[in-house]
Amino acid sequence: MEVITTAAGADSSGAKTAGAAPFLAAPVPASDEEFAELVDTLVADPNRHGQLTDLLRENHPWYNERGTATVAQMRGWVLLGFARTGVSDHALLFVLEELDTGIDPYLVATAACALRSYAKPNPALAPFVMRALTQNRYRDDPVSFLAYADYSLGPEATSPVRELLLTLAWLGPHARSVLPELEATVKSGGLSKKALVEAHRTLEAIRGSEEEPDCCKLPDGLISKFSWAAKARRSSESIASTVFEDQDGAGITFNEFFQGRPSIVVFFYTRCDNPLKCSLTVTKLARVQKLLESRNLAEQIQTAAITYDPAFDVAERIRRYGEKRSVRMDASHRMLRATNGIDSLRQHFKLGVNFVESLVNRHRLEVYVLDRNGRVAASFERLHWDEQEVVDRAVEVLAERKKPARITTPMMGTLASIAIAFFPKCPVCWAAYLSMLGVTGLIQVPYSPWLQPILAVLMIANITSVWLRGRATGRMIGPYLVTLGALVILASRFNSGSLKLAALGIVLTLTGSLLGVFTAQRSSAHLNY
Amino acid sequence: MKVELQINNTTNANGRFVGWSPSPCRIRITDPTGATTQTVVVQLSGVSTATGGAVVFRKTAAGANSTTLDLSLPINGASVPFFVVGRKASISNGDVSIQVRAKIANSPIVGTIRCMVRIRKNAESLTTAERDRFLAAFASLNTTGRFQDFRDMHTLLSQPQAHGAKGFLPWHRSYLLDLEREIQTIDPSVALPYWRFDQPGPKLFTLEFMGVAGPTGTVQWSATNPMQFWATESGLGVTRSPMVGWTPTTQPGPGVINEAATLALGSTYVAFRSPMELNPHGQAHTRWFGFIRAVPTAAKDPLFFLLHCNVDRIWAKWQRINGRFDPAVAASYDSAPANPGHNLPDTMWPWNGITNATDPTRPPTAPGGGMASSPCTTAPGTQPRVQQTLDYRGTISAASRLAFDYDDA
Amino acid sequence: MTTKKRASKKAAKAPRKMSALAALSVATNAKKTTAERVSALAQAPEAVMKSDDNLQKLCNVVKNTEEPVQVRLEAINALATAAFAVATFEPYRNDYIATLQEAAVDPNQEIRESALGLLASEKNKFAQKKLLDGLKNPAKALVPPEKALQLLSYDVHTEAYGVARDIVDNSPNELARQEALRVLAADPNSTKLFEKLLRDKDETREVRQVAASALNSLAPQKLQEHAREMLLDDSEYEDIQATSLSAVKQFGDDEEVAKDKALLKSVNRMSADAKSSKYKKSAKDFLAMVAEKEEK
Repeated sequence: MEVITTAAGADSSGAKTAGAAPFLAAPVPASDEEFAELVDTLVADPNRHGQLTDLLRENHPWYNERGTATVAQMRGWVLLGFARTGVSDHALLFVLEELDTGIDPYLVATAACALRSYAKPNPALAPFVMRALTQNRYRDDPVSFLAYADYSLGPEATSPVRELLLTLAWLGPHARSVLPELEATVKSGGLSKKALVEAHRTLEAIRGSEEEPDCCKLPDGLISKFSWAAKARRSSESIASTVFEDQDGAGITFNEFFQGRPSIVVFFYTRCDNPLKCSLTVTKLARVQKLLESRNLAEQIQTAAITYDPAFDVAERIRRYGEKRSVRMDASHRMLRATNGIDSLRQHFKLGVNFVESLVNRHRLEVYVLDRNGRVAASFERLHWDEQEVVDRAVEVLAERKKPARITTPMMGTLASIAIAFFPKCPVCWAAYLSMLGVTGLIQVPYSPWLQPILAVLMIANITSVWLRGRATGRMIGPYLVTLGALVILASRFNSGSLKLAALGIVLTLTGSLLGVFTAQRSSAHLNY
Repeated sequence: MKVELQINNTTNANGRFVGWSPSPCRIRITDPTGATTQTVVVQLSGVSTATGGAVVFRKTAAGANSTTLDLSLPINGASVPFFVVGRKASISNGDVSIQVRAKIANSPIVGTIRCMVRIRKNAESLTTAERDRFLAAFASLNTTGRFQDFRDMHTLLSQPQAHGAKGFLPWHRSYLLDLEREIQTIDPSVALPYWRFDQPGPKLFTLEFMGVAGPTGTVQWSATNPMQFWATESGLGVTRSPMVGWTPTTQPGPGVINEAATLALGSTYVAFRSPMELNPHGQAHTRWFGFIRAVPTAAKDPLFFLLHCNVDRIWAKWQRINGRFDPAVAASYDSAPANPGHNLPDTMWPWNGITNATDPTRPPTAPGGGMASSPCTTAPGTQPRVQQTLDYRGTISAASRLAFDYDDA
Repeated sequence: MTTKKRASKKAAKAPRKMSALAALSVATNAKKTTAERVSALAQAPEAVMKSDDNLQKLCNVVKNTEEPVQVRLEAINALATAAFAVATFEPYRNDYIATLQEAAVDPNQEIRESALGLLASEKNKFAQKKLLDGLKNPAKALVPPEKALQLLSYDVHTEAYGVARDIVDNSPNELARQEALRVLAADPNSTKLFEKLLRDKDETREVRQVAASALNSLAPQKLQEHAREMLLDDSEYEDIQATSLSAVKQFGDDEEVAKDKALLKSVNRMSADAKSSKYKKSAKDFLAMVAEKEEK
């Protein structure tokens, strides 16, 4: 599938469509009927279709403390709502997600049905539908679309296989790429009598039309992969001190592990009963590790698998889980559980997961690439991710400029301090300076007293920055020197003939600023393995 | 003078297990003190306890059995091959020994090695010690996490690899072998017992063994039975109760066709496999309420493995009666085209590691890795092929021996 | 005797088998006796695989409330047997599940339990909803609460925890309480509850055993600590001490155990003084095992 990335600044919080705000104002529906009515309300109002999409976020509060079966029921009903409203480009991602990795008959059937209300058939959709058919053919259980939480089995009952076949028929010639696979499935003799009738109609629809399908590209609005430029990345400060336990029982904080080198992070839990999700995710992580090894990058790019279920997934469990899937485990590659709570992690990564008590009730596929500062640089969400693509992205992050730029801020601040120290008190002094610098021969630069407050602000910014860094690292010598330097510079302004004082102030400021930068760098290097 | 004996051509103590098929062994002189010629004739004999196992010997794999065997050993230490064949099953590790006497003055004993004739037995015939060793080892496996692999191999998503097609018997033979070898890494003296579902199980369905259904159908075990801690991914214990009107301790499984009728289904694999998969196999599963009654949950019940051990034994017996060990003989298997994993030369999922990343007919993951190895044989390797499961006794090719046998097959 | 002659000799002894189609015909014939029909149903699954019509005949027997319950139950079993041949059964699964869902709300409780048991194995959402509704509202219950809890425990992802906790505190019967505890064994937040139950001598043996098993799953180290304390406690019941000994024997740290003189002394006392010969033997076996490992 074509790589789609958003512009810098986009957020992977889920269904953040342009316009409609999340539907969080309404209280959690108290009953099935109320939920169904609320969804119907959204369906009926075209201005609120964005809120319908928002209901497909796993972490939507309406799914809190609901069992998996109830969540499936609710999501399926929302998907059926899309069948009435039409599936937007943004909602398409959730529909494809269900086809890509779903194994619940109701959800797969409703997703297949919803897809048929998308604006236009597209060849890129066919592999998703065919994959769902292959994955769900042995679970072709009857489902009902008649009403919410309805399980009636009359003639209007349908099934995932039926819905998928109908969707392939809707795709028509756009499904030609999967024709051989569909023919093989029909030939295998595994379809029921009813499904066979439908299958033959589908085959005809695919073969029959002379229409040439458009090229195989998913719509530009489909979002499953996000990238952020370095400046736009969310700081990891809020979880810097989150404590993990690894597969060997060793404790390590977020910063201790994730600072200093880029990382590839997946989420999983051992009690996931969808083999297309967690089991496959961790298996693929092992493949990612092999790719890194083959490129001699296994020590430069770390990997981690973090469990959603830290209370149950104790060290021994996650170690076995990883071992059975051939995951490499060492200082740079770990299976982790958060021992001081999953909540802060959920907030930071905006994880697509929800819980009934401590048990996961639903989660999405999610893989993250973190930069060397532990900030999310890229994410791959919902759909099957390609190991090579993830590794390539991590390599790009690895190649990002290291932070010598970090020195520019204190240097600018220091220069500002110097400038203030020597700022001319009058136009004559201004001319004298410029002469000294040989500038007046070239340009007549007017006396610019307005520069003083600007330089003062820069100096204060420098002092503040050094103090913050000092507090973060615990090394306060830099801030003390910079503050003292600033005071000395100010004193020199009020003391005529204070060149020595100014020089002393500059030296103190410069020393303090540089110390602040280098002790911070040394601090993080010390924490790396 | 001293000699060194190797059972299954290994010095590994965990390789000192034999069955009904000839196990390749070797012997050599390690200390020729007292030898007056370039070769020394020694005599091998088996020494059994009253209740223990018994062995006989062969000079070659196809040779005649004899209770003693004379071999001429060079004093330069070169190994001389021979074969050991189990004659009577052991009940504990090392309850039979092979003694070597030099045929010189005083007939000194120059070497002894203990071994075991390790055989899969009817669960009803196990001694208390055998039963307890099996339960302890199986309960241990359950907690190692490795057991979860065997669960994951038998869920609905993976079932077309194993059920309702001709590979049903080879796949389950490999599955049981893998599990048994894992159990043997915990206790090498343990072999999987089987449940004769066409007979009453007065010892099997007790608190001390596979448990007794409580009032809700949750199985109860005695306070000394390690199975009381049995757990699987969805929780504690086992749900299993007999269908109404059936008392498993005194009655065979209702409607389960007996062994004789099963063996008489047909002398070709095509005629045999398909009906027997439904009855007695499927029928034995559905005589219960609980986990064992449906494919997605069956492997959560330890009885499942004893059930399938009997299914495999019946196949083994059928093979012996009809001479169906040779994959090259058409009647030994079914040559009709089938999905990968079911044809004779095919490797089988999950041991071959093939997933739907490369083959859409396969499941998305392949839990558990390759087939467990055994110090007793190199067969079938980490990726067993269907055809390797047929000649499990090494009848056609000695190298195919899988190192398991049944007490009556 | 050659193998071929042996085979035919065996064939002669084997009972005459009805063809699958003939068996299906008998099974679906209301004029035959219940016993005949039940017996025939054992051979009918193969017929199901041959055609959709055959499947429907069997399904109709299940759904027909006029049929004898025994025949209907065996018909469900015949379908379940056929379902084991997953690849061949694929075309029939939809109707099979539909039949089970209908049977799950049958007037007869045995039929309901049989169908719900199979559906629970499939993690069927319809079945889970019905079972949960029945626990929350007894008027809607299709099976007794202990059965509902047991079937809901097949899937850790159900919403049963809240209900299970309520039942532990306020149970309609002891069996329901035990099954509720089994459900909670999947919840790490219940560890403290299980510790409390394990050490409570007023609890039944069954509950304490469930607690021991739950702790082995959720917090094995805690079980070892409690097991040790219970073995040292002379006032503790013998059967709980036997369970504790099993836990230590099976899952304890061999080296730690060998060094634990107090524990070994207690077990030694158990080997001599236990009222049950079974527990005495268990204690003796344990000591022998420790001694053997020490020698090595």
